[in-house]
Amino acid sequence: MNVGLILVILLVLLLTGTPISIALGMTVLTFLVLFSSFSIDTVDIVSQRLFTGLESFAIMAVPFFVLSGTFLTDGGIARRIIRFALALVGWMHGGLAIAAILACTFFATISGSSPATVVAIGSIMLPAMIKHGYPKRFAVGVITTSGSLGILIPPSIVMIIYAVSTSESAGKLFIAGIVPGILLAAVLMLVTYVTARKKNFPTLPRASGREIWESFKDAFWGLMLVVIVMGGIYGGIFTPTEAAAVSAVYAFIAAVFIYRGLKLREVPKVLLSAANTSAMLLYIITNAILFSFLLTSEQIPQALSQWVIVQHLSPWMFLVAVNVALLVAGQFMEPSSIILILAPLLVPIAKNLGIDPIHLGVIMTVNMEIGMIHPPVGLNLFVASHIAKMGLTEVSIACLPWVFVLLAYLILITYVPVISLWLPNLLY
Amino acid sequence: MIRIFNRILDHIEEWLIASFMAAATLIIFAAVLHRQCASVPWLWKYAAALNFSWAQELCIYLFIWMAKFGAAYGVRTGIHIGVDVLVNAVRPAMRRVLVVAALSLGAFFTGVIAFMGVRWVWFVYGTGQTSPDLEWPMWVIYLCIPLGSSLMCYRFLQVLTRFVRSGELPVHTLGAAHEDPA
Repeated sequence: MNVGLILVILLVLLLTGTPISIALGMTVLTFLVLFSSFSIDTVDIVSQRLFTGLESFAIMAVPFFVLSGTFLTDGGIARRIIRFALALVGWMHGGLAIAAILACTFFATISGSSPATVVAIGSIMLPAMIKHGYPKRFAVGVITTSGSLGILIPPSIVMIIYAVSTSESAGKLFIAGIVPGILLAAVLMLVTYVTARKKNFPTLPRASGREIWESFKDAFWGLMLVVIVMGGIYGGIFTPTEAAAVSAVYAFIAAVFIYRGLKLREVPKVLLSAANTSAMLLYIITNAILFSFLLTSEQIPQALSQWVIVQHLSPWMFLVAVNVALLVAGQFMEPSSIILILAPLLVPIAKNLGIDPIHLGVIMTVNMEIGMIHPPVGLNLFVASHIAKMGLTEVSIACLPWVFVLLAYLILITYVPVISLWLPNLLY
Repeated sequence: MIRIFNRILDHIEEWLIASFMAAATLIIFAAVLHRQCASVPWLWKYAAALNFSWAQELCIYLFIWMAKFGAAYGVRTGIHIGVDVLVNAVRPAMRRVLVVAALSLGAFFTGVIAFMGVRWVWFVYGTGQTSPDLEWPMWVIYLCIPLGSSLMCYRFLQVLTRFVRSGELPVHTLGAAHEDPA
């Protein structure tokens, strides 16, 4: 009864186009005022939650990674990573496209965001591919899809949000993303290679050993960030949040002083735009915490758990249901909202069924990747359509074959947990 | 007059969130550096003279302030995304109604929160509570809720009046799309 009511209120609010954060908060208020034994004390709890909900150092990794991502995108690091990737694989069949995927993979290891990866790599590689005679649709599809690696390969803002909302370890989840991330990159490259052979896409001359070395040296300072972030976290030198802060400072130094892609006077603009994005994310997080507080106080996760047990749902069935629900949710909302709302509901059930929450985290992340390249709200599509100067519909059509590749990959990740769990279990 | 007021408000808002962002980053960076120095034999003496135990707390407070005021800035830049499936599907007249409803809802919600925030700050002021590490009065720190939320309410009303007058909405420019989340 209460579940239905909460969902109806939320749905109605969402459909008016109200920002998701406001809709979540408004649902809580409405429910408290109308249906609970309403007192001014409960309202005081709400205003307190708006502050204390955010009072966690783990959450603060989000603004730090957003800031570091903004510096990386604008700072001329992407160009060097691309040169290195081209030197390595440019000579293969479909070399430019494979190099684009490789560059996205590299960039994903230093950035935690998918749209940022599409912008950074796509704005250089897309024109290059088209100039060399690749069909525009194919080029756009490759970039938009491989950009989504940004949230699967650590560091990842989506994974931090999952970790925060389910009290799992962000470090462990990061580790769990490595093998699936590399595997997905390999799958994408394979598909590209096969297509390129069949359609006879142009190849580039093989780069000399000297060029490989030179381009590596040039990209070195950017790629060092992986070592600092991952090495720092797993060497026990700092927490994920501190790693994010260090990475922001490092990205600033690399962008302004080493690569000089940014001028010092442009830095306030970068700070402001990073603050804009992180404040929006933190505002959704605050209201989602409020919302899950309502769900918990109405005992909804327990009720849902109970229901699943009564239905004798096997883990196999449960995961099908989870994936379908996530794919549908991905049609309407962006990843952080989906994870914040659904992860706290799903994790208790998964634990009951013997599914590792870290595995569920990887499943959800891959699922979110699909949402990002699928209309109507796929963020990567918007970004790609802007860079390619193509309509949203055309970009969506260009990505459609890749949606199927990712769906197949999602099934693999869902039913072969060892891909996600092997490395974290080895290390933890 | 109102135009000058708005200009000043815009500047304070932008300046505040950008500098909080920078300050939080530098503080945590310094704290990490400090901890590393403390483990170097010839440096620990100097490092020990400094105390960074308050860094995490200050970072959290700076970011919460940044978040509350940044959320208001976000209304102005149109970054708070909603579900627009229905809004885009209906006739223009209906769309207008929905947009006005959504914006009014935003103003209403943030207004209520601002009011509740004032109540809460007043309550905490009475308890004389201080923060654990910095030992700052908590009511000052909690001020970001009423202040940020009233500013956000004001921004929603601004966007609403502009929409009613001219039919324009702030659209988060895709040119800066790398600012988008995730």
